[in-house]
Amino acid sequence: MLVIGDLVKTYSSGVQALKGVSLELHPGVFGLLGPNGSGKTTLMKIVATLLEPDSGTIEMNGADLLTRKDHTRRMLGYLPQDFGLYPTLTAWQMLDYFAKLKGVTDKKERHALIDALLDRVNLSSERRQRLGEFSGGMRQRLGIAQALIGEPELIIVDEPTAGLDPEERVRFHNLISETASENTVVLLSTHIVSDVSNVCSSMAIIRQGKILSACSPRQAVDQLKGSVWEGSVSREQLSAFKSQFNVISSRNFDGQARVRVISKGQRPSGEFTEATPVLEDYYFDFVNQN
Amino acid sequence: MRSPFQTSFAAVFANEVLLNTKRVAPYALMMLFSANAVLWWGWGPAVARGWATNSDFYIQRNLGGFSFILGLPIFTAVIMGDPVIRDFRLGVSLLILSTPAGRASYLLGKFFGNFFVLVCCQSAFTITTFLLQWVPFSGMVTLPVRVVPYFKHFFIIVVISHLVLAAIYFAAGTLTRNVKVVYGLAACFYPVFIGYQLLLKSLPTIVGVISDPLGWSAQFGLRADVWYRSADFLNQYVVTYGPAAYANRASMIIVSAVLLSIVYFRFRIDPEEKGMEHFTGLSLSEAPAQIAYSAPLHGLINLPGEATPARERKTLPKITSTRGASATLFKILAAMGVEFRLLRAERGFLVLIPLAIFLSFLSVPFSRIEPEISYSVTSASNTANMLLLFLACVIVFYTGEAMHRDRELKIEPVVWSAPVPNSVLLLSKWLAMTSLALLLVVVGSLTTIVTQLLRGHTPVDLSAYLIIDGVVVVPGIIFMTALVVVLNVLLRNKYLAYVVAVGTGAGLFYLYNLGYKHWSYNPLLYQLWKYNDLTSGKILAYRLYCLALAATCLALAHLLFERRST
Repeated sequence: MLVIGDLVKTYSSGVQALKGVSLELHPGVFGLLGPNGSGKTTLMKIVATLLEPDSGTIEMNGADLLTRKDHTRRMLGYLPQDFGLYPTLTAWQMLDYFAKLKGVTDKKERHALIDALLDRVNLSSERRQRLGEFSGGMRQRLGIAQALIGEPELIIVDEPTAGLDPEERVRFHNLISETASENTVVLLSTHIVSDVSNVCSSMAIIRQGKILSACSPRQAVDQLKGSVWEGSVSREQLSAFKSQFNVISSRNFDGQARVRVISKGQRPSGEFTEATPVLEDYYFDFVNQN
Repeated sequence: MRSPFQTSFAAVFANEVLLNTKRVAPYALMMLFSANAVLWWGWGPAVARGWATNSDFYIQRNLGGFSFILGLPIFTAVIMGDPVIRDFRLGVSLLILSTPAGRASYLLGKFFGNFFVLVCCQSAFTITTFLLQWVPFSGMVTLPVRVVPYFKHFFIIVVISHLVLAAIYFAAGTLTRNVKVVYGLAACFYPVFIGYQLLLKSLPTIVGVISDPLGWSAQFGLRADVWYRSADFLNQYVVTYGPAAYANRASMIIVSAVLLSIVYFRFRIDPEEKGMEHFTGLSLSEAPAQIAYSAPLHGLINLPGEATPARERKTLPKITSTRGASATLFKILAAMGVEFRLLRAERGFLVLIPLAIFLSFLSVPFSRIEPEISYSVTSASNTANMLLLFLACVIVFYTGEAMHRDRELKIEPVVWSAPVPNSVLLLSKWLAMTSLALLLVVVGSLTTIVTQLLRGHTPVDLSAYLIIDGVVVVPGIIFMTALVVVLNVLLRNKYLAYVVAVGTGAGLFYLYNLGYKHWSYNPLLYQLWKYNDLTSGKILAYRLYCLALAATCLALAHLLFERRST
């Protein structure tokens, strides 16, 4: 179990990126959901030993990750938000290099591991291809492959699906689901709600360096049952409607504004019908409230 | 009609100047050049010989020296080599080139923007010497304050000379998009230029007048006997430029224009590595419509249809991770292997090995003169001196590139989060660069031996090569690489490290030539050894001192290295 306690980080520019973040992460995929600039990457970098917090604690199964950096790196698999690869190396050579850096000295074991990793991320046929020729999705898949080397207990994946096409995104969700096991904590940061709804067993919403909510996606959606409504209002009435109700989304449709509203225990008007809540409703409801 | 300040050329030009104002290297260069000017003004030969420090002759002499000595041609490479490469590396090039700005505006804006910055840096030398006219100290001869000679000689001797060098470096960097080619050219500037001057002596004068980038062959109005004249004569001497000088300068401007035209016609916008298209082999029909595992599905994407059967979960094989000293050594060797693989893939060897062969070939006497000890000793000594000069530049630039490559390729966070000690990250770079330099020494020495045999300078004394390389060159390489590693760790900016390293080297070289060459600050033993002394206890003690300095540099680098994220 990963326990983050009261983490604070202020950059030298004066920006307070984390304002006392506390979380408990159990084995499985944990989604950290928040808009750009909310402090997700700062938190990820601190857990990945690449940034020092001003104060706070991080423990993994009782071991202090902040002071025992070498120990942390041995149990860590990290896929940064914006990472590069040596463009002139092949996929196989790149994984071989990382396996060596992670101390896999036995040649047979290493080669078997690389073959299995390439197979898992569906890059076996591109094993001899230079990384400079890889597409964004292929790079991300190779990135997750390198993070899986060394049987990590903690895998940190920072905004992995940003910029991927729908096909690659689904494929990546599959990969993330596969990595979760009884002993592995996967910390997935994203600003895309469907990433969390598709793969995470628990989640937290972070905004302006603070955790606003922490629960499971199921609990989050259950909280909104009977509170989400859909209907149409005239464009002229829209601004008045917005001031009266918590409007999650609005789009123009057939000359009118089609709106999705959260209204607990009260139908906005007779024409509105109850809608099935989704995680995005919960997210926007929370963000709007805060 | 549009104002010239509103053209796309002006926009690119101004942007280059703006970008350079945010870099440390130009300011470091200005400080270095100003310090140089003070040094040459107060502690040069003028005071001792009674030359007026603001005489036409001395101004021109200083600018001629400044244009060549103290690494100015190498600094030109630092500023001019990678403006276009940077755009491609940062991914800005496509944004710029997709605007209505033409290719000519883009390339000329890049070139002249950076050249303007270079000239501003160089002018720090001239402006400092110009201002120093007002602060003579006792014993220094000065003439009434003058303005025009400073700027006239600066323009003719420095600006035009470096215009052509800038065009060469810019063309090499832009067309190859490989900064190592530029640095390879910079590294061999001095040996090649000196060799070229020797070659010009046997060619008609007109060849030198047309092709000498620094204009040495054109004399620039100074006759050879001027050095034997009195101080009074020199102080009143008015430097004039004859037709040969003007022809040379015009020729250099034409060569620069031709080079820029070649860049314009050969410049490619498309990505460098673009062979056949590679597809992932996936299609939307193959992609699973739903998540194949038991993750909860509460989101917006809730596609109808039958659940896709879960594919077989591929388990990863069990591995054993080793620790301890042997694992650390294994990791160092692995990282070193990658360094060499990258060097090979970047075609670094294609640049360096031919240069080492060429320079070593030039080191063997062309005619059969009577050597002091033996032909082998003369040839090996020449090769050692030539290679040390060449390798000093190679080590500065290639180590800088290797030290900062991971950051530039954004691979640093992944490597830094791996369970590798800092020693692996540092020693692998140091060892790779040291091995590269040693490889070049071996190639150079073998070339010299073969050349010696071909020219009939037999017998070949292998021990002379082994002793000179082993005692002089190898410890020097080890020291230089360690020094550059610690500089890069300390400064965290490769351009700044280039400026500091080349500036320090050039400054020390200047001091050594003034006679200050004590072993304590002369770890390469420049002008301090003779072949017969190389096996003496004193020289071996100096070498141990050099190796101790290298060890100290590496220890400092280890101590100061931080895996700091931004």
